[in-house]
Amino acid sequence: MAQTQTWTDTGIQELILLLEEAAATGMESIVCLEMATPCTAAVASTFANPADTAIHHTDSGLLLAAIDTVGHATVNTTGDTITFDHVFTATGTKNVAGIHTCNNDDDVTFIECCFNAVLAVENTDTITIDGQSTIDQA
Amino acid sequence: MKVSTRSTFKVSATGEHRTGFCENCQTQTVKEFYMDGERRRIRMVCPVCGGMGKLIAKTFSVQPPDPPQCLSFRCLFRFFMDTLFCALLSNYHKRRVAYAEKNRHKVILERYRTGEPSPKTIWQAIYDNTKLTCPICRKYN
Repeated sequence: MAQTQTWTDTGIQELILLLEEAAATGMESIVCLEMATPCTAAVASTFANPADTAIHHTDSGLLLAAIDTVGHATVNTTGDTITFDHVFTATGTKNVAGIHTCNNDDDVTFIECCFNAVLAVENTDTITIDGQSTIDQA
Repeated sequence: MKVSTRSTFKVSATGEHRTGFCENCQTQTVKEFYMDGERRRIRMVCPVCGGMGKLIAKTFSVQPPDPPQCLSFRCLFRFFMDTLFCALLSNYHKRRVAYAEKNRHKVILERYRTGEPSPKTIWQAIYDNTKLTCPICRKYN
């Protein structure tokens, strides 16, 4: 399967709550997906719950962490793009099928990304994530 | 398999898998924040020589084709060709990343680790897919 990436339904809901100034938080965390086979990102993801420790890494440096940098950029109109960068440093041998970005409470997944193939990381290996999302009116 | 994405919330993300030791001097790399234009970014660099860890594989974000803008034969044919290219490109990068990961300790062509140059046309994608499946051809540029 191809690399797939998308906003999830729960991420859209959280975004609307932010606009409404209701109880919601922005994109602040990131976690690696632990799967032996490639996954497929979907808007109604069945594994988007960040608390699901069967699918998300909980150790070995690939666990839920604050995103190193979150910013904004311009693709079509000023400030229409959110950018995020993060480096995971593995402390063991693991499989990484993709990533999720979550809110500050770590209870909502904004963006789900499943890589082209599973990355087989070994101790001290690094995975540098370079992500961006554009709200496209073009 | 059906892949559903949002047309107005476009996401692109890549993962760059590297070893944790500098490929020049074997020193363990450390996090470094830097400015890329106005964007504050992060990377792993060697504190001694400024090098980076050995690249194992870099994933490639394939975007789905835009939906057809009209129902004329030309629009539909263009959408069909874009979809075909997207499928071939996805297949190439899926196999490329898997191949690079499987051969992390072996010497393989750098293009299979970086994903660059990526196929730009349907014929290039067919050619690169065929080449990647051939154990002899994929050793030569």
